[in-house]
Amino acid sequence: MVKIILKEITKKFGDFTALDNINLEIDDREFMALLGPSGSGKSTLLYTIAGIYKPTSGRIYFDDRDVTEIPPKDRNVGLVFQNWALYPHMKVFDNIAFPLELRKVPKQEIEKKVREVAKMLHIENLLDRYPWQLSGGQQQRVAIARALVKEPDVLLLDEPLSNLDALLRIEVRAELKRLQKELGITAVYVTHDQAEALAMADRIAVIREGKILQVGTPDDVYYKPKYKFVGGFLGNPPMNFVEAEVENGYLRVYESRIPVPAQYKGLIEKLDIKEVLLGFRPHDAEVVKGISEGLVGEVYSFEPLGREQIVTVSVNSGAFVKVFAPEGEHFTFGEKVTVKIREDRIVLFDKKTEKALEFLGE
Amino acid sequence: MKDVETRPSRYEWVIILAILLASLPLILGFSLLVLSSFSKEMVTNLDLSSFRFTLENWINVFQGKLATTGGIRTNILKVTFNTLIVALGVAGVVTFISALAGYSLSRIDFRGRKHMMVLLLILHAFPGVALIVGVYLLYRLTFPQSPDIIRLYSFFYVILARAALEIPMSVWLMKGFFDTIPWEFEWSGIIDGASRIKVWWKIMLPLIKPGILAVALFAFLAGWQDIIYVRTFLIDQTLATFIEANIEAEYSHMPLIAAAGTLYLLPTIIFFLTAQQILLQGYSGGIKG
Ligand SMILES: Nc1ncnc2c1ncn2[C@@H]1O[C@H](COP(=O)(O)OP(=O)(O)OP(=O)(O)O)[C@@H](O)[C@H]1O
Ligand SMILES: [Mg+2]
Repeated sequence: MVKIILKEITKKFGDFTALDNINLEIDDREFMALLGPSGSGKSTLLYTIAGIYKPTSGRIYFDDRDVTEIPPKDRNVGLVFQNWALYPHMKVFDNIAFPLELRKVPKQEIEKKVREVAKMLHIENLLDRYPWQLSGGQQQRVAIARALVKEPDVLLLDEPLSNLDALLRIEVRAELKRLQKELGITAVYVTHDQAEALAMADRIAVIREGKILQVGTPDDVYYKPKYKFVGGFLGNPPMNFVEAEVENGYLRVYESRIPVPAQYKGLIEKLDIKEVLLGFRPHDAEVVKGISEGLVGEVYSFEPLGREQIVTVSVNSGAFVKVFAPEGEHFTFGEKVTVKIREDRIVLFDKKTEKALEFLGE
Repeated sequence: MKDVETRPSRYEWVIILAILLASLPLILGFSLLVLSSFSKEMVTNLDLSSFRFTLENWINVFQGKLATTGGIRTNILKVTFNTLIVALGVAGVVTFISALAGYSLSRIDFRGRKHMMVLLLILHAFPGVALIVGVYLLYRLTFPQSPDIIRLYSFFYVILARAALEIPMSVWLMKGFFDTIPWEFEWSGIIDGASRIKVWWKIMLPLIKPGILAVALFAFLAGWQDIIYVRTFLIDQTLATFIEANIEAEYSHMPLIAAAGTLYLLPTIIFFLTAQQILLQGYSGGIKG
């Protein structure tokens, strides 16, 4: 129930810069996902918000309060660790009660609150077990209960679902999102799973090598990636990229030509750019048999996925692109095809900086 | 077919045989000692021809008699009690200090931490006998004037001195145990509002219980068995010095000393019979990642 403001946060471990000038605002009651590959600094950022790490420079505010120098226990945050960190020598009840006991909450109230939060997470019947007597999914609920029982202003979650199996993960993520909205709690959720971030978050901050590349709604980062990296990190399969040259109003990919999309016409002239990366999502194109207008190539492979199939096309230029096709269509290996891309969904990146053209000026 | 991990090696029996052969002299020695304590005469032959069962030795030991005839008496219960005080004292001091020092060496990045760890290893390599002159000097210098407390002081001193010998290795061991605990446990406690010392007490110590038990047991045995330091500093006798003092005395009856010796060995024997369960007992699940 606070707004979190990170101002120019840098965190160094010795010579290594784990966080590099991070600026981020997380609104009250917002569900913010920190998305990035392994080692990008997500956990470090989360721990910095919690107060476990002190930033090397920069300030952290909760609303107007500067909490940079304030110890973790006075920030009123709940943290769910990647490995859950349940105390193995305490029963589930005592695990959940631990934060309250430290606050010297009266016994009866502890009892009441623990049962309340346990009920909310459907673990009432597990209270007198030890953590090692629980399944992974149950342990994870206990960890969330322990973080929630002290009614924190901020809930911080570090890949809490990464130890669960795929089906359970999908079930829990819907529940978690609902819980966060019901409690009206500000949440920061660390994950390297783009599907999780897209499904749960109000906004996503994409992190790579300690830098925030882009912050935006799931739609924003999905359809308007600021960097090639963002496009390539989100989506399954991710965005396709093909090198193209700009030539009198056309994008030339080897022998194929595509008209420059309308939304880019002015920009390309203004920037006077010759070499670009053409990006498009697998469901924003279709595969047409034979040679026509579009990216010409041949079928490299196809993978049926039930309702649809993924066709991998080896484009003449040597690149491979993946495109969704309806289930009924039949392809053969090596068949000549043309990939027709939805013009309005095309994203063009500068080949050198790998930044989307519309953000080049920034 | 058995699980891979639990499948014994094909040469297991060879190894077992080798171990048995290597420990045969020890096992024989111990067995003869225990047998002698129940015999009228010492059992020194494997054919047991001299064995004649009696409980007399044990009765005499507990009555404090040192000879079957004669009137010299030592209160063996009190000697045993002294031994216990020294052993428990050493165990207590060593466990307490190494649990604290091990934690800080494992978790706190203070100045000179690395040097301290190297220093501890060097200290461990120092034999206790080599230090005894200096330790004795300190003993004389600090020796109290008042005769009322000199006995107490000698206990106090021998416990500290003997513990000091055990501490370097125990701190290393303890540091190793703390190192195995993921940081998240500690952070979790700190975020929930616990102080560092509370985290240590409520979260870390329970997690390394088997380690603490091991360190405490080793320290206990060290105190129980010690002879040089006890002999030098302690005014009273412990089992070790008692046996040593009587083993060559003319009036002593050897089977009786054997009974005292068995008493002396008892903790060690119990410890090695139960050690595996104690040391291997840990939390099988729970700690992940
Ligand atoms: N205490 C530390 N000392 C030195 N380097 C560290 C420390 N903690 C993290 N790092 C480094 O900082 C970088 C970011 O680590 P961090 O744990 O934040 O990554 P992450 O994004 O959470 O990755 P993952 O998804 O694997 O958990 C890594 O390169 C890591 O090696
Ligand atoms: Mg991490």
